[in-house]
Amino acid sequence: MTLLNTLKTALLGLAANKLRSGLTTLGIIIGVASVIAMLALGNGARVAVESSFQFLGSDIVQINRKQLFDDGKYTATGQILSYEDGLRMADEVELVKRVQMNVSGPAKIRFGRNVLDMNIAGVTGDVLDVITKDGKVQPIDWPEDQALTSEAFIGQGRFFTPAEVLAEADVCVLGSETAIDLFDGDNPVGETVWVNRQRCLVIGVMSELEATDSDEKHSISPNNALFMPISSAINLLYDEEPSVYINARVTDEKRMDEAKAQIAAYLRERHGVEKDAEGNYQDDFDMLTRKDILGQQQKSAQTFSLLLAAMAIVSLVVGGIGIMNVMLVSVTERTREIGVRLAMGARGRDVIRQFSLEAIILSAGGGFLGVATGVLVIPLAAKLNEGIAVLDLQSIPLAFGLALLTGVVFGLYPALRASRLNPVEALRYE
Amino acid sequence: MISTKAAPKEGQPTFNPVIETRSLSRVYSMGAVEVHALRDASLQVHQGEFVALMGSSGSGKSTLLHLLGCLDEPTSGSYILEGRSVEGLSRNQRAQVRNERIGFVFQTFNLLARVSAQENVTLPLLYRGRQKDVRERAAAALERVGLEQRTHHKPMELSGGERQRVAIARAIVTRPAIILADEPTGNLDSRTGEELMELLTALNQEGSTILMVTHDAKIAAYAHRTLRMHDGQIVNGKKP
Repeated sequence: MTLLNTLKTALLGLAANKLRSGLTTLGIIIGVASVIAMLALGNGARVAVESSFQFLGSDIVQINRKQLFDDGKYTATGQILSYEDGLRMADEVELVKRVQMNVSGPAKIRFGRNVLDMNIAGVTGDVLDVITKDGKVQPIDWPEDQALTSEAFIGQGRFFTPAEVLAEADVCVLGSETAIDLFDGDNPVGETVWVNRQRCLVIGVMSELEATDSDEKHSISPNNALFMPISSAINLLYDEEPSVYINARVTDEKRMDEAKAQIAAYLRERHGVEKDAEGNYQDDFDMLTRKDILGQQQKSAQTFSLLLAAMAIVSLVVGGIGIMNVMLVSVTERTREIGVRLAMGARGRDVIRQFSLEAIILSAGGGFLGVATGVLVIPLAAKLNEGIAVLDLQSIPLAFGLALLTGVVFGLYPALRASRLNPVEALRYE
Repeated sequence: MISTKAAPKEGQPTFNPVIETRSLSRVYSMGAVEVHALRDASLQVHQGEFVALMGSSGSGKSTLLHLLGCLDEPTSGSYILEGRSVEGLSRNQRAQVRNERIGFVFQTFNLLARVSAQENVTLPLLYRGRQKDVRERAAAALERVGLEQRTHHKPMELSGGERQRVAIARAIVTRPAIILADEPTGNLDSRTGEELMELLTALNQEGSTILMVTHDAKIAAYAHRTLRMHDGQIVNGKKP
């Protein structure tokens, strides 16, 4: 029998039981739609992870003092990560090109009668480059098609230089709002403000800045700021030497692992870190790169995706069992018809084809409608997952293919059973 | 396919028989019990014959018909159809024999309910893989049984007699070697039954070889000769 005739026969067979065929298809629709939706959720999680960790430059090793989680809270361990550790790193570690450090803490700032209580930041001289590269904030109304430059962040005056940082110069740069609050609109450059009990020369004012991401516009206020050389800030803010945050920029990001090993060796030597009984170093610092964060997050996103896909496939298998069930019932009901067909000269493969095709039509129809349903359901799934669900285009052929496969696999047994019927018994079947 | 020429016998017509069986037996095993549905049935049906097979229910006539129609396989004995042994044929080869050489007419018509008369008639041609002039041949077969006005009717829309005529059209459309009819009038009233027998008689006169199972002597009277069965055996083998 030709394929076209078999197809017609199969369609007629299905049409004879529209409700049953429809309900069976529903099982596949749900399975396929959940594959699409679940993979979209997993994909959404992955995309979210990727975009949220763009801020850490790919050539930067972030170094923090190690925090141990114990008794419900984090406590710092071992030696502090000192200003001196960072300062020498660029010189003594071959693969580190530049080191940026920062500390921050609360201070009282005064000019005339205006007093502000705020967090101030002690940074190294190249902080503007870092901010520029971050791209998290930008001068207000910055045109989208224009690349950011570090100069654009300075409204008046200038930023302090690495030399001033080394010299522990008592200079500072104000955020635009801080400048207005302290100076009531007058030009602050060249004036002296009090930071705690230290006089400090204002050498520059930042441009008015805004968050690049419109979602964060109200959560961060980049214009309330005071930047000082980290060396001066440490003197001003702390009685004891504080631990600093270090961002080391490597010379070659392809040799990141090597660079990390060099940094570790350098810090171990400075901190006198020894091996423990098992031969592992008991480091008092942590290193983090974009790859580390991405790797961790992607791994968990992947696990999440796999879990969701597994759930979806389970529902597809349930749909497949539905198909098998209905096809078995159908074969039994149509035993007589099969007998007639066998008497008319249908071969085993003609019967297999007819019933397999019915199962495949059910699953393909379910697959098609399921893909449509899945795509439509994604916004709904997104609502359940804090707005993150992104259609994975590959999931469409995947889900449809799985549906077809389900039809083939679960339709085969009933079809085989039909083809193996004894013609005499089939003809006698009441 | 193994082909063995049936040896001509003395006193037989010069042409070879369409059907020739020797000691055909069929035993069903039902657990420990063996049921001998057919014992040593030997018969010949020649080209152009119209043979009736009579017997009470359980006498083995249906079993014999199934064996002759290649729907079942004998436990022992040989069956030669048109000079070729059908022994040892595979399931698919037997399907092919049924398709090309046998036309079935059943007591309960056995039409496909969802498709038209014409599509029912084309069915055996489709299983032959034939695509050319299928409709024309089906139309011709339907015309032959007097149903040219009913081509597009579905079985439900036809009377019992008309349904059986569709079944006959389906049996003759492949131009088989023999038509095997199993109680063709069993579900029809006597008048319709007579009309149907007239149709079968006419087809026989046009050259169709027919073997018909019946338990009605009046129906059997339409045949050239009657074989009687009892307890799985042919009890008379009246020669033509």
